[in-house]
This record gives sequence, C-alpha cells and structure tokens, in this order.
Amino acid sequence: MSGPGASRTAAPEGAPANTVVEEPRITERPSAVRLRDVGKTFRGRRRRTSALEGVSLDIEAGEFLCLLGPSGCGKSTLLGILAGFVPADSGEVLVDGRPVKGPGPDRGVLFQTPTLFPWLTTRQNVLYGPKARGALTRETEEEADALLETVGLADFRDAYPHELSGGMRHRAAFARVLINHPSVLLMDEPFGALDAITRAGMQRFLLELWQRHHMTIVFVTHDVEEATLLGDRVAVLSGRPGRTKAVVDIPLPRPRAYEDTETLAFVTAKRRIREVLER
Amino acid sequence: MSEPIVCAARPAALEAPGGLESPAEAPGTGGTRERRRRRSWRRVAYGGAGILLALGVWQVAALVIGDPVTLPTVSGTVRELLHYLTHPYPESQGKTLVEDALISTGRILAGFGLGTVAGLVLGAAMAGVRVVRELADPLIAVMRPLPPIAFIPLLVVWFGIGETSKVALLFFGVLPVITIATLGALDAVPAELVNASRSLGASHFHTMVHVRLRAAVPGVITGMRIAMGGAWTSIIAAEMIAATGGVGFLILQAGNYLQTPLIFSGIIVIAVLGFAFDGLLRLLLRAADPTTRHS
Repeated sequence: MSGPGASRTAAPEGAPANTVVEEPRITERPSAVRLRDVGKTFRGRRRRTSALEGVSLDIEAGEFLCLLGPSGCGKSTLLGILAGFVPADSGEVLVDGRPVKGPGPDRGVLFQTPTLFPWLTTRQNVLYGPKARGALTRETEEEADALLETVGLADFRDAYPHELSGGMRHRAAFARVLINHPSVLLMDEPFGALDAITRAGMQRFLLELWQRHHMTIVFVTHDVEEATLLGDRVAVLSGRPGRTKAVVDIPLPRPRAYEDTETLAFVTAKRRIREVLER
Repeated sequence: MSEPIVCAARPAALEAPGGLESPAEAPGTGGTRERRRRRSWRRVAYGGAGILLALGVWQVAALVIGDPVTLPTVSGTVRELLHYLTHPYPESQGKTLVEDALISTGRILAGFGLGTVAGLVLGAAMAGVRVVRELADPLIAVMRPLPPIAFIPLLVVWFGIGETSKVALLFFGVLPVITIATLGALDAVPAELVNASRSLGASHFHTMVHVRLRAAVPGVITGMRIAMGGAWTSIIAAEMIAATGGVGFLILQAGNYLQTPLIFSGIIVIAVLGFAFDGLLRLLLRAADPTTRHS
C-alpha cells in the first residue's frame, strides 16, 4: 500500500498505539479500555465531593461506547482520568493493557470546544502533535494534507481558526488528533455547542470516520438520542457520585444514519435507555 | 493488511457535514479583500482630513489672535520645528531637537526594556509559583495605583539627575503594568489548551513554551502598549523636574524663554515618537495574534 499511510503499515505488528482494527469486534484481543473500581474525590475548601465511586467498565477494541448521565455525574471526570489529565484516587485504569499515567498521543481527546491553537493555521494545528514529538517527516506532512482533504478542509489549510466556522473547527480538531493514529478517541460532548444542523452533520461525519477506521471511541454525552444513534453500547452513569448504573446494548444495524432515528427499533432503544436513566 | 487512516485511494472526501454552513470569512476571496482595502483607504482619507481640519482651525485662530507668543501660526511652527531639528537652540545647552529626542528615546528604550523584562519574569514567576504570587501580590497592588512621578524627588536624591534616575523611574513605572499583564494573560490561558497539547504528545516543557507562554503573548503586548503610554508621561515629567537634556527639558526651557513655537515643536516630537512606538507594538501584536489582522 502506498500513499500517505505507508509509514503506518511498516509499523511493527502489535504496537498498540498504531494498530488499526480491521473488524469491529476482535474478541480475542484484550479490552481496549478497562476500568476497575475507579473512584475520584475532589477536595474543596470546605467539603469533599465524591465525583466517581466504583466505576467498572470494559470497552472492546473498535467499540463505540457512549457514556451517558445527568450533568455533574462525573462523565467528564472519567474521561479526564482516561485521558490522563487527572489521576484516579483508587481503582485500575488500563488502556491497551497499560496503566494510564498521564496524557499521551495514543488517546486522542476531543473537547467540548475545538481548542485549536489560535496562532497556528489549520495545517500547523494538524501538524502540532508530530512536530512537538519531533516526529515530523515528509510522510507526516503528506498525511496531514490528505487528512485535511478527508475532513473537507483542504481549501482552508492556511486559514486561522477564527476564520473557520464552528463545524470546520471541530473537523480540524479531528484531523489534529487523527494524525497521531490514536487507538482510542475520547470525546467530551464534542458537539454540544453546535447548532442542530451542524451537529447532525458532525454526527454523520463521525459515524463515517469510525466506520472506515474502526477506532475505539468513548463518547460522553447527556443526549439520549445522540447516544442511541452513535453507540454500540451506552453506559449509563448515576447522579453524584457517578456509578455505572447499567450498560445498555444498542442492537441497531450498522451503518446507521440520521434517518434511523425515526424507526421503531430506534425509539424502543431510546426508551430503554431513558428507563435506566430514570430508575 | 491494515487500512491506513487516511485512504488516499478514495478520491471523494467524507461528505462535508452541514452543507449549509459556510466559513465565518472565506479567506482570500476577492470580494472581501477588495471591500477591506476600500474601507482602509476610506479610514486613511478621513483621518487625514480630520488632522487638516484641526490645523486649519489652529491657523485661523493664530491669525485672529495675531500674537506668536500666545499662539504661533502653523506655518511659523513648522518653520521653527524644521530649523531646530538640526540647529541647536541657544538656551538648551546647544542641543538640537533631534539630539533631545534621541536622549529621551534612549531613556525610554533602556527603562522600558528593563522594566518589561523584569515584569515578564516576575509575572511568569507569580503565575507559576504560588509563594511568589502571595509575596508579590500586595506589593504590586500597592505600587500600581501610585503615579511613578511621585518618586522623582526620591530617585534624584538616590541617583542624582543623571541617566540612572530616569531609567529607574521608567523601570518602576513599567514593571507593575507588565507584571499584571503577564500574570493576567498566563492565568487566562484555558486549561483545555494545555491539556490538548499534552494529549497530542507534547512534553511538559514544550507545552509550557509553545502553548502556555505563546498563548499569553498577545496579552503581554497589550500590556506593553499601556506601559509605553505611561513611560512617556513619566519621562517627560522627570526631564522637566530634574534633567539637562531630553524633550521634556527642551519644552520647559522653551517655556521659560517664551519660545512658544519651540514648545509646540517639542510636543510634536513627543507625539510622533509616541505614535511610532505604539505603531511598532501594534505591528508586533499583529504578528503574534492572527485574530487582530485584517482590521
């Protein structure tokens, strides 16, 4: 295989950060993400707030898992622990079999806002990771151009973030993360601030991207419909302190499209999740 | 064989989501650039007309008053200005306007430069080390509202009327402004920007330099522009109180000898220098912050 991805295929087999999962389910592989009894308490001036308590969860490689729960239930905290921004107080956090010790490019993070660097052009933003790690090569630059093509920003490679629309900024943030070939994508309500039309477009974009590359995705949301549309499974967290209430399978066929939200099967799945939420 | 993330073989890009959306501003499209250029010409034309209008009012007023000591004519002032740029004014210890301007500029550069460097270091230290912040916070809070010119007599007692007292005055005027600007700018860098950098694989140090400090640069430059305005106020005052050269000294001497055209010439020199320095800082800001361009 030639082209921008040639350097990837040359990577040694089994290097977890670089492995692309062909099939959505490879059961003999260890879980991509493994959480055991994860707890987190924040110490404020007056009182201690228990954000997470005994959260256990296994996420398969290539799975699309949605984390759903009321606001303040610790979804974002859990994602921050997976990303390595905050340490867990107790329990075990493994990604690709290795304990999480800090942030790393093997776990791509997409935030609620695109958090592009405003002083860099779109292309410079995409190349930030490789450059910071001293891994900037000719191939990486070509790959960046191809990625910009993929996310539909080829004409905006030299534009600055403030010159892009909301959806475009999110797609640039995608490209910036994808160039690192993360094995897991961690997404923290990434489309929450977008208008309904752009949001539907971004959901379709994400589904197509995932269908093509089959990364593991952990997607935090408080929107039941979004979780049902995107996820293979939906992990429902309880209110504070966050605990895994239930993990609901979404048996809807793939590929899914936004039009599926009107089918009976979709509505039934949505209702099941809502029942768990309100339980 | 594993499929690369970017599939170059597939020509069609993923369908751009939300066909309705359009970028905030299509960069480089002819229409907007044309409009922008027209707008900036319009601004220059009106700005020039405003200055001409003011000069016209001045000229008419001067002719009506008819006394060059109270108000010289524009043409008379320009004549004196051009003359004394290169010819020494007899009562000003034989210096030309250019020499006095260079003296003031040198003091500004030295004091402003030292104060900026010290303010940057102090501000960054306050942002990074809590003990430093707690120690320096009250000092800065007390110093900031103090007009630097209140220290002129003290500095003269300590350092005499030479260059040291001028540079020290500017230093202590600039320092708190830059410190507060640096601290504020560093505090305002969103934690998510730092997290994003770390999760893209950048080290702690790389993130500190290329994200945290870099993101603070526009705020620091804005602080420098504010400090520069204050620096000119201080230096002119200091030169009027205790000095043997500089534009402030020249203006004071010209006033003592009722040389009104020379007073105006000094003021014009200060205006030009102040405008030039602010322009340089504005250019710096544009280079550092793309959101301030095209405006």
